[in-house]
Amino acid sequence: MDPELPIVLLAVGLPFAVAGVTPLLFRALGERTGYAGSVVALVCFGLLGSQYGSEGTVELEWIPSLAVALRFHVDGWALLFALLASGIGTLIFLYSPAYMHDESGLARFYAALLAFMGSIIGVALAADLISIFLFWELTSLCSFVLIGHYTEEDESQYAARMAMLVTVGGGLFLLVGFLLLSLVAGDVVGPASAFDLAAMLERPDELQTALRERGLFVPVLGLVAVGAGAKSAQVPLHFWLPNAMAAPTPVSAFLHSATMVKVGVYFVGRVRPMLVSLEWLLLFATVGLVTMTVCALLAVAATDIKELLAYSTASHLGLMIAGFGFTTVLGAETGVFHLLNHALFKAALFLVAGIVAHETGTRRIADLGGLRHDLPFTAAITAVVALSMAGIPPFSGFYSKELLFEAALEASHVYDIGVLGWLYPAVAVFASVFTVVYSLRFLALFVGDRPAGYSHVHRPSLTLLVPPALLALLTAVISVDPELAVRAIVQSGVDATAVDTHEMHVGIPTSYSPAVGMSAVAIAGGILAFPVYGTLHDGIRAIPRTAPPVGANWWYDAVVGNLTGSGRWLATRVHNGLLRTYATWTLATTCALTLAGFAATATVVPAELIGLDADPAIALVLAVAVVAGLAVVLASTHVAGVLTLSILGFMVAIFYILASAPDLALTQLVVETLVLVIFLLVIEEIPEYYEVGLGKVARDGVLSLAVGATAFVTVLVTTDARPDGTTEIARYYTERAVPEGGGTNVVNVILVDFRGFDTLGELVVVALAAISILTLIIMRSGGAGGDEE
Amino acid sequence: MTTVIMRTTARAVVPIIFVVAASLFIEGHNLPGGGFIAGVLTTTAFAIIYLTFGLDFLERAVLGRDVDPGKEPARDRVVVAYHRLFAFGLTVAVGSGLVPLLFGRPFLTQTFVELEGVPIYHHLEIASALAFDFGVYCVVVGGLLTILSVVGAE
Repeated sequence: MDPELPIVLLAVGLPFAVAGVTPLLFRALGERTGYAGSVVALVCFGLLGSQYGSEGTVELEWIPSLAVALRFHVDGWALLFALLASGIGTLIFLYSPAYMHDESGLARFYAALLAFMGSIIGVALAADLISIFLFWELTSLCSFVLIGHYTEEDESQYAARMAMLVTVGGGLFLLVGFLLLSLVAGDVVGPASAFDLAAMLERPDELQTALRERGLFVPVLGLVAVGAGAKSAQVPLHFWLPNAMAAPTPVSAFLHSATMVKVGVYFVGRVRPMLVSLEWLLLFATVGLVTMTVCALLAVAATDIKELLAYSTASHLGLMIAGFGFTTVLGAETGVFHLLNHALFKAALFLVAGIVAHETGTRRIADLGGLRHDLPFTAAITAVVALSMAGIPPFSGFYSKELLFEAALEASHVYDIGVLGWLYPAVAVFASVFTVVYSLRFLALFVGDRPAGYSHVHRPSLTLLVPPALLALLTAVISVDPELAVRAIVQSGVDATAVDTHEMHVGIPTSYSPAVGMSAVAIAGGILAFPVYGTLHDGIRAIPRTAPPVGANWWYDAVVGNLTGSGRWLATRVHNGLLRTYATWTLATTCALTLAGFAATATVVPAELIGLDADPAIALVLAVAVVAGLAVVLASTHVAGVLTLSILGFMVAIFYILASAPDLALTQLVVETLVLVIFLLVIEEIPEYYEVGLGKVARDGVLSLAVGATAFVTVLVTTDARPDGTTEIARYYTERAVPEGGGTNVVNVILVDFRGFDTLGELVVVALAAISILTLIIMRSGGAGGDEE
Repeated sequence: MTTVIMRTTARAVVPIIFVVAASLFIEGHNLPGGGFIAGVLTTTAFAIIYLTFGLDFLERAVLGRDVDPGKEPARDRVVVAYHRLFAFGLTVAVGSGLVPLLFGRPFLTQTFVELEGVPIYHHLEIASALAFDFGVYCVVVGGLLTILSVVGAE
C-alpha cells in the first residue's frame, strides 16, 4: 500500500500551522491551550496511524531545478518514530497545563512545543537530504526556545546556548556529509534524485561501492556520525543533554525521551543499510558503548533526579547507537526495540520526576525518600518503568538489552576485530551494572523512610498522573508480551534498518546462553553494588573535581570562553568605529585573499603582456596619467590633490576613446566631473593638514603598494584570459542588437533590452544608497536634537 | 565660489548641459549615451548650480519660495521632490517591465516599432526600452541629487 501525500503533508504541517495561530488560541483558551495541543498531537497520531502498513515515497515539488523536493518516505521505521513523537506529544500536552499552571510565556511555550513536534515528525518522514536537514535544524531551533524557556535565569540561557551550539554545529557537519553524499549519489541514482535518500536506500550496495571508489566513504561516515552524535549526545558531545534539564519538565520528558535526542539514533538507523561496514562497526559500536558507560557512571554521580534521568538517557542513547553499530541483524533489532522501550519508560520517568518535583518542591536525590506513602500511584508507575530501565526480567528493557549482549557477542563473527571481540561484550556488561544501580536509586526515592527535609506532599492532579500511567501501562504490556510489540511495529522497523531480512523473536530465555549469563552478571553486580551506592557516588564525583579536563563541560567552557575573549579582542581592533581602520582591514583582507587565490591556483602573469607594445597615442595618454598619479601623491594641498586626481581620471577617459569604447569614456568623463564637484564640496570641511606618525605613514604606504600590486596583477591576469577575436556571446549580442532590440548602440541595447534585470538591480542600489543617506542624516540630526534638549 | 566668472559661465553652460543630456538620453539606443549617462550629466548641471548660487537658490530664486533656515535639509521641498523623483523612476522601470506580462511575455521583455512617413523626421523608431531608460534616468537624477543636496547641506 502506498502512502497518501495529503495525509502525510497534513501530519507534518498541522503542528506548524497550529503553532502559528497559538497566540490567538491562547487568548481564547488561556492555560487550556495545552489540551488543544493534545488534540492536535492526537490528530497527527491518527493521521500517521492511518498510514500504518503502507510503504513508499510521496513528494511535493519544491526546487525542481536543483532536484530538491519535499519528499516523504513512509515505512515501519519512520512510522515508529513519528508515532512515538506524536503519541508521547499527546501525553505531554495533556500533562503540561497542570504542571505549568500560573507560569508566564505559555503562548510561546506551546507554539514552540508544537513546532518541535512537527519538526520531529518531519525528520522521521523526510526522505530528501535537504528536507531532512531543514527539519533537523528546526528541531534544534525549537529546542533552543524550549530549553531557554525561563529567559530570566542564567542557567536556562547557558543551557539553551550550549544545546544550540552543539546540535546546530553538529548539523553543519551533517550538511557537508549530505552534500558529499549527493555528489556521489547523483552518479548512482541519476542527477534528478541526487538528494533522494529513499532512492539511495533502494541501492545501498552500489552507493557504498561508489562512495569507496571516490574515496568519500570514510568522510561521509565521519560527518554523519558527528551530526548524529551531537544530536544524540554521544561522548564527547554528551554534556549538553544533562544541562538541557534547565527546561520545564514536560519539555525534558519530550526532549530526552521520545524525540530530539533520538533523532540522531533514528538517522543512524535510517542510513545503516547504506553505510554498514567494518568502519561503521568500529565507529558506532565504540562510540555507543563508551557513551553508555561514561553516562551510566555520571548518572550514578548525579545529585538531582532530572540530572540522573538525563545522564541515563545519554547512556541509553549510547546503547541504541552501539546496537545499530553492530553489523548483524541483531544490532538493528537492538536499536529499534530499545528505541521503543526507552521512549516509553523514559518519558514516564521524566513525568514522574516532574510530579515529585511539583509535589515536594525539591529535586535533590538526597532529600527525597519514602514517597510511596504520599504518592502510591506514582510509586507503582515508577516500579514498572524503573525496573524496565534497569533491564530486570521480565520488564521490557530486559529484552532489548539482551539483544545488545547477543549482538556484542556476535560482532567478532562477522569481521575480524581481534581483542575488541570480547572487549565489546565486557564493556556492555560493565555499563549495565551501573544502569541497574542508578535505576534502583531512582526507585529508592519511593521506599524507605521519609527524611524530614520537606513538609507536606500534595496529591498530583489527575492530568499529571494519567500520562505516565498510560506509558507505564504500555511498558507493562510489552513486558508481558514482547512479541506483540514486535509484530505490531518493531519487525517492520528492523526490516528498514537491517541489511538482510530476519524474523525477530524475543522472550524470556528458557535455557542458558552466554547472553543470559551476561544479564545475570549485570543484574547481580548492580544489586550487589547498590548498598555501596554512596561510596560510588562520591568516588565518581571526585574525579572531575581533581582533574577538571576530564569533564566535557570544562572543555565547552574553555573553548567558548576563549572564543568570546578573542572575538572581543578582534572587535576592538577591527570594529573600533574609525573609518580608516575599517578601510585598512577591508583592503588588506581583500588583497590577501585575492593574492592567495592566485597563488593557490598557481596563476602566473603572462610574460608576453609585459612589454611596451602600445599605440603612440595611447602610450602618451597613459604617460600623462602616470605623471598625474605621481602628482597626486606629491600634491601639497587637498584641492591640488583632487584636481590632479581628476587629470588621471580624464586621461583614462581618453584612453577609453582611443580603445574604441565611447560609451565607457562618456560615463567616465561625466562621473569624473561629478566626483570632482562633490570632492570640492566636501574639501572645505577637511582640515588643511594632519599630524601623522611615521609608523602610520609606513603602514599606509605598504597598504597602498599592496592594493596597487593586487589591482595590477589582477588586470594582467584577467586580460590574459580574454578570448581571441569575437566570442560566441559577443557575436550573439552584436547580431541580435538591431533586429531584436532595435538599437545600433550594442552597449545600451544590452543594458536595457538583453540584461534589463541587471540594470534594474543597479537602480535599486542607487535608490537604496539615497535612502540610506537620507535616513542616516535624519537619524543623526534627530539624535543631536535630542541631546540639545 | 560665487565669483562673477563662475556665475557667467554657469548661466551659459548649464542650459547647454541640459540639452546635451536630453540628446544623450534620446540618442542612447543608437549612439553613445543612455539613461544613466544622461542622468549623471543632469546631476552635474544641478551641482554646478549649487556650487555657483548656493543650495537655497533653487527654492528661493527659481521656485520663488521662502526657505525656513532652521529646517532640516532632508525636509526641504526640493529634496522631497528629489526622492519622489527616484521613487517615481523606480516605479516607471518596474512598471515598464510588468507591461509585457499582460501579453504573456517574460518580465522586462522589450520591443520596438518603426514609424514611416512622420513629418520632419520621416522615419521614427520607438523602442519600449525608452520607458525603462526613462526610469533609469529618473532614479539616477533623483538619487544622486538627494545625496548631493543632503550631503552638501552638511
